[in-house]
Amino acid sequence: MRLSTALAIAALALAVAACSEPPPAPESTAPSAGDQAAVDAYYASRPEFFGFKTPADLPPDLAWQDGSELPDIGSPDAQKGGTEYGAIQDFPRTLRTVGPDSNGSFRPWLLDDVAVALGHRHPDEFSIYPGIAAAWAVSRMDKTVYVRLDPQARWSDGAPITADDFLYAFYFFQSPHILAPWYNNWYGTQYTNITKYDDHTLSVTTAEAKPDMDVRVLALGPRPRHFYGALGDDFVERYQWAFAPTTGAYVVLEEDIRKGRSIALTRNKNWWAKDKKFWRNRYNADRIVLNVVRDTAKRFEAFKRGDLDRFGLNLAEYWYEKLPDEDDDVQAGYIHKAVFYNQRPRPTFGLWMNTSRPLLDDRNVRVGINHATNWQLVIDKFFRGDFRRMRTSSDGYGSFSHPTLTARPYDIDAALAAFAEAGFRERGPDGILVDAAGRRLSFTLSTGYEALKDILTILKEEAIRAGLELRIEVLDGTAGWKKVQEKKHDVFFSAFGVALELYPRFWETYHSVNAYDQAFLTDGSVNPARQPKTQTNNLEVLALAEMDRMIDAYRASDDADEMRRLAHAMTAMHHEHASFVPGYVQDFYRVGYWRWLRFPDGFDHRHSSGAGQLFVHWLDEEAKAETQAAKRSGRTWPPSIRVYDQFRAMAG
Amino acid sequence: MAINPETLRKLRRFRAIRRGYVSFLILAGLVGLCLIGELLVGSRALIVSYQGQWHFPTYGAFHPGTDFGLPYSYETNYRELKAKFRAAGEGDWLLLPPVPYNPFESHASGAVYKPEPPSLAARHFLGTDATSRDILARLFYGTRIALFFALAFMASVYLIGIAIGCAMGYFGGLFDLLFQRFIEIWSNVPFLYMVIIVFSVVPATFSVPVRIGVLLTVMVLFSWTAMTYYMRTETYKEKARDYTAAARLIGASISRIIFRHILPNAMSTLVTFMPFTVVSAIAAITSLDFLGFGLPPPTPSLGELLKQGTATLRTAPWIVTAAFGTLVVLLTLVTFIGEAVRESFDPKKFTVYQ
Repeated sequence: MRLSTALAIAALALAVAACSEPPPAPESTAPSAGDQAAVDAYYASRPEFFGFKTPADLPPDLAWQDGSELPDIGSPDAQKGGTEYGAIQDFPRTLRTVGPDSNGSFRPWLLDDVAVALGHRHPDEFSIYPGIAAAWAVSRMDKTVYVRLDPQARWSDGAPITADDFLYAFYFFQSPHILAPWYNNWYGTQYTNITKYDDHTLSVTTAEAKPDMDVRVLALGPRPRHFYGALGDDFVERYQWAFAPTTGAYVVLEEDIRKGRSIALTRNKNWWAKDKKFWRNRYNADRIVLNVVRDTAKRFEAFKRGDLDRFGLNLAEYWYEKLPDEDDDVQAGYIHKAVFYNQRPRPTFGLWMNTSRPLLDDRNVRVGINHATNWQLVIDKFFRGDFRRMRTSSDGYGSFSHPTLTARPYDIDAALAAFAEAGFRERGPDGILVDAAGRRLSFTLSTGYEALKDILTILKEEAIRAGLELRIEVLDGTAGWKKVQEKKHDVFFSAFGVALELYPRFWETYHSVNAYDQAFLTDGSVNPARQPKTQTNNLEVLALAEMDRMIDAYRASDDADEMRRLAHAMTAMHHEHASFVPGYVQDFYRVGYWRWLRFPDGFDHRHSSGAGQLFVHWLDEEAKAETQAAKRSGRTWPPSIRVYDQFRAMAG
Repeated sequence: MAINPETLRKLRRFRAIRRGYVSFLILAGLVGLCLIGELLVGSRALIVSYQGQWHFPTYGAFHPGTDFGLPYSYETNYRELKAKFRAAGEGDWLLLPPVPYNPFESHASGAVYKPEPPSLAARHFLGTDATSRDILARLFYGTRIALFFALAFMASVYLIGIAIGCAMGYFGGLFDLLFQRFIEIWSNVPFLYMVIIVFSVVPATFSVPVRIGVLLTVMVLFSWTAMTYYMRTETYKEKARDYTAAARLIGASISRIIFRHILPNAMSTLVTFMPFTVVSAIAAITSLDFLGFGLPPPTPSLGELLKQGTATLRTAPWIVTAAFGTLVVLLTLVTFIGEAVRESFDPKKFTVYQ
């Protein structure tokens, strides 16, 4: 019944779309959807999870809110149109947003920064502004969030977005076929029920009434049931290069996928949210062409030629040397430079040690490595003092971050003492410590950040003084991530992009279920035959029974004070375990951009993570032609080098 | 050892070709310098006179700071030690190499790491790179690795090439036929890609010398084929000559015929190709490093310097100049030698090439 209605509406929508403008994404070779009946059967098999009720069943005294009091995000000055040129370091390995290889640097273009969920955190105010939800009501008593969907919401292929697509999202993410244990776990344990009241009303119940349970629910996005249907074993291959209908403004057309070379996003001119308060004046470029340019230096040269519209100048080398304020293009006003201080949890740049490896399973060795890596030197000399030392792996969450802990400083004597505890007392002829069994204190330090390899060479040189050898291995981004996901690393230099959240997550990185297939035996002792679990974010292969207990309590808690206490205790325990060397944090981002790229007056919003993340910029095609002519004629404008420090925080 | 008068004549002719001969002398000098490189470029002092005792830290195990009254157990910083000795004025002294930096250490004159232009005062004769490492030191050791790598590569390629080529030419028949087909297939495998593929799966846990060994093996594995064909034809040709038949009649063994009779006569072909093999080996290891598939950082290498240089073309032109200049000089020298060798080993003294 529902199915046929949905199909009829979809057909109607397609017909309507066909009348006005050609549909944006002709899915000519897209795989056909799987069996829809099997999805309903799954719902039926879990009646406690998937509920079907009528609007009359809604509790009567709900306090509906819609976030409409929040300020606009887009700038009223923004213009639509133009083609934006960007670069990606690596061609995406898949267009899926879940499953193997999907968690790569291209996913933000498909999902994180583009797709519209029920609601989003406002980038200035932290409270929630509506996406697909038109209004919502939080009932803490029954741990449930009630949501009314915007009836105008449409998939990019024209089909309406209904409550069914949200129910389906749970089917989808709970499915073993997507080969994504994180999603299986999250959607299977963090939520206990989703109920459909009518096509545009639903409720989601969370396992615990967390302080931020509203956003836990409202961050949910739908999945297009009409596109996927029932999933099968072939999910991973079948949808490898299929662009699924999206709720967001940009689609990937099949002819724009030039494998290994470039990929382009096209603006859906009929996007349902284009005039909505929080979505208008955003996603302005008609097309975004992303060419694969593997080499950072080459990317910069392309930017300097005007082939790329903007370039991240976070590295001191680029900000001070390659595009200094005295640069001709900057002085002529062609290229603008901007520093924007933001406020948010910071990416966790640091060294992740694989504690399942020999020697690294010894805490003394790990403490020694903490003391033997000279991050302060990297910050002072390489980053020219612009960055700060990270304190713990969960900085930037306000009162949820540990108030007093700091990273272990570079201290050769402390490092030597710790290594001596582990049995490494003598230096070999090359100055590297050896133990009684003749083993050298040597580890491979891998990274996927080619542009940051100089950091590692500095660390390596400094570590030698403490008798530690780090062998550097620079891989390309995708290969590096694969290595670490397969837990084949010793020490890995990387960072997790951190979402704007109220409190840090621990389960992903520190719970033993993400470390080993079976970390502990039933009696609680360590399982001697355990094998590291692949494709999880527990990069330290950290498995501590006490940590597990705390994480479980933290996840189960609905009391902010208790969670705060647990967060501090877990951060302290993690610090004590010493399997992570906190690196640096950067409390700003800086970019160079051609003058035809325009940003709002304040440049960006308080919690933005980078220029472009919120798509509030726009292209001025006229200015582009003008600038290109000016480069020939020699016309200049006053230089624009601006520091936006309205959100600069002293602590973080 | 008696030298064949014919060979002697060839060597004399080689000496007469000034350009090649001078190039040879320069290159030989360079190789010599490379062999004693640590005495010229390095952070370890050549001689330390401390409390009346002499130390020679250049080779052998490191000297912890405590050896010279410094408060640390890691390797002595001899530049600082020198300043300390001078300040103390107790008669202790030390002698540093002309370039007192090793290729790994960062040494910035200012507060931050950035490329600095050549400076005589700081003894950074070619400047420093992006992390303030001395370019001359990196260039020197990078060249040393490339040069010795190329020589080892040449030796191995020739050993395999000659052995198999001679065997093919001498035995002929089915053996020749099969090996020809095998080589045809093998030599069609794109060499650089194969090196990249094989090298990308070599675990990084191997130490740098082992990795260099692996790189050498892989490159040799895919490069020995070129030599076999020349040796095969030469052997075929020489095998048909009367002197070979005479040797066989006397009852000389196969190995004796090949190595004592045929090989010396095929030598001119061999020698002619040598310098060009060296050139291609240097070019290959440089391009591999440039592409990032060669030696792991921070091993000094010409390719890595070139890469850094091209990345900082605008801001630090001295990096690319130094690396490019070295490469040009090196390859030109080898090529000049090659030309001279070819000319002097040419059986016809006056040949007109068209």
